[in-house]
Amino acid sequence: MLTCPAGHDSASSDFCDVCGMRMGGAPEAASPVAPEAAPSQEPEPAADPCPRCGTGRSGQFCEVCGFDFESRSGSPGATGAAVPGSGSAPAGARTATGWVAEVAADRAYFDKVVAQGGADAGTLRFPAYCPRRRFRLTGPEVRIGRRSVQRGIEPEIDLTGPPADPGVSRMHAVLILEPDGSLTVIDPGSENGTLVNGSEIPVGVKVPLAEGDSIQLGAWTVITIRAAHI
Amino acid sequence: MSQADFTVDVFQNEYLPEGSRDVNAIVTVTSVADPASAPPGGPGGLGGPSGLSELAEIIIIDCSGSMNAPPGKIAEARAATAAAVDVIRDGVAFAVIAGTETARPVFPQDGSMAIAGPQTRQAAKKAVGGLRPAGGTAIGQWLRLAHQIFTEDPAGPGHHPGHTQVRHAILLTDGKNQHETPEQLAGAIAVCEGVFSCDCRGVGTDWEVAELRRISAALLGTVDIVPDPGGLAADFEAMMETAMGKQIADVALRVWTPQHASIRFIKQVAPAIEDLTGRRSPAGPQAGDYPTGAWAPGESRDYHVCVEVSPAGVGQEMLAARVSLVAATPSGPQVLGQGLVRALWTDDEALSTRINPHVAHYTGQAELAEVIQEGLQARKEGDEDTATAKLSRAVALASEAGNEGTAKLLAKVVEVDATGTVRLRKKVEDADEMALDTRSTKTVRTRK
Repeated sequence: MLTCPAGHDSASSDFCDVCGMRMGGAPEAASPVAPEAAPSQEPEPAADPCPRCGTGRSGQFCEVCGFDFESRSGSPGATGAAVPGSGSAPAGARTATGWVAEVAADRAYFDKVVAQGGADAGTLRFPAYCPRRRFRLTGPEVRIGRRSVQRGIEPEIDLTGPPADPGVSRMHAVLILEPDGSLTVIDPGSENGTLVNGSEIPVGVKVPLAEGDSIQLGAWTVITIRAAHI
Repeated sequence: MSQADFTVDVFQNEYLPEGSRDVNAIVTVTSVADPASAPPGGPGGLGGPSGLSELAEIIIIDCSGSMNAPPGKIAEARAATAAAVDVIRDGVAFAVIAGTETARPVFPQDGSMAIAGPQTRQAAKKAVGGLRPAGGTAIGQWLRLAHQIFTEDPAGPGHHPGHTQVRHAILLTDGKNQHETPEQLAGAIAVCEGVFSCDCRGVGTDWEVAELRRISAALLGTVDIVPDPGGLAADFEAMMETAMGKQIADVALRVWTPQHASIRFIKQVAPAIEDLTGRRSPAGPQAGDYPTGAWAPGESRDYHVCVEVSPAGVGQEMLAARVSLVAATPSGPQVLGQGLVRALWTDDEALSTRINPHVAHYTGQAELAEVIQEGLQARKEGDEDTATAKLSRAVALASEAGNEGTAKLLAKVVEVDATGTVRLRKKVEDADEMALDTRSTKTVRTRK
């Protein structure tokens, strides 16, 4: 039985049977010192795999199992041995270096749109099935829209579907990762407008976003903003 | 002790940008063409006199009352069945079933299987010649009888110890499944899954594409329209010839993924698109088997595998999936070939932004099938705008990918004017629309 760089037993000699990492090929990189709230978007190369699950280290906590590399203890919130104050810790407690947009279908919003009785309200249908999709926001700009080959629009958050939301413009809105790490949204002039937490935002004006904010657009699309602890 | 070997080629851009989770690859699986390389049925072999599996065939013919209209239809179906029977090789177990609101064995009449030879073929054709249409349509009943004959016939080849068997059925219908509930049909399909494969053919235009597609997809077969009963004989003969070539039974695609990874989808993408994602059965730690049915020597298929992994650091390499071909043999599962889907994180954008042409091609082909089916559905519901938009996209995709077969079928449903504007044709033959629907999942390969 062989042992992979992360300490798993593996019968295969090319890649680890458990974590899939290349056997015996882990490059010996500078061992990362405690990344003190590093402003850098790029964490240390994960030469330091999590001793519990083998996931490459990318911050204080293992992204997969929550192992705390600094105190060498277990999952925050999972056991009593957790680091104090790090349960479902507020973003400030960790280095919130990224954002994630979660796309879903919002029934209540849809009902409101239909109730407003726009020209096409009668033809709108709420999708029977809409899987929740997550987009990791990598800056500086993340466009929300629907892909159009003819017009050369390739939005990073492509709502082409299925299910297709007929009310989303090809180029509907743009999420902007500000240099200070905060997030704003701008509607460059979409056909049907954009709502943040239920109120319509003016065209062409940056609106700041925070963890948990929701952006509603089209007939039923809701995008929830989450801070990613990476 | 290897016999029916498979080669597995993986096409991918293994370089991922930092933090990226999705690994895409096209996996081309080819069974080695030379059946002579197989040892003659020895222990550990796949069984059968040629070193390959034995075959069993059942032909299921719709004998509902509607097969009388037009009057030539049942005659063509009888002729097609006779043509297919003539192609069955000596020594292959076979049977013929007539389907109405129930099902009955036509040949052999006692519900067993006959071994093909000059006499049995003659007798089968005689029995088929006596078929008279009367009654309804309950396809689930037909499938259940086929299942019973395949599994219970005491003289059937499945009962020769140490032999694996390729079981295949051809199902012909001309109408909707009117005399049982969709749940009854679904139940029958579930019983038959993994027991035999089934190619479905609809004759005329009164049958339901979605209904037959459900059967063919679950039973790893094909579905197609034969608009004119006169074309049945040639189609049946071709189907039976293909079936006679499928000598490697029960091959599964075994996919291992690393801890914390998940499979986003696994689709067969050539020769036709079949989503296998939901067909996984567990196969040991971190691995699952996806059924691919039986293979002919020399046959080649492409699969699109998409795995979500937990990203490692820049410069690190991870195995995102180990894809093996596994055959069920009397001595247990046997790995016949293997390919590796890798992930390598890099901060070099020149590497990570390259798009693998095979992955791009099949992503487009999958979208093509999807927009055609959605477009036709919208057209049926009277939503012309959506239909036009979807089918316009289909026209663009088909021409981009050089999928001439689909482009030709599309041209019968939409017209493209000189400015490139796509419009729905006002008058569309039912048969043309159904042909586009059934054949929308056929893909073209990017290479030989």
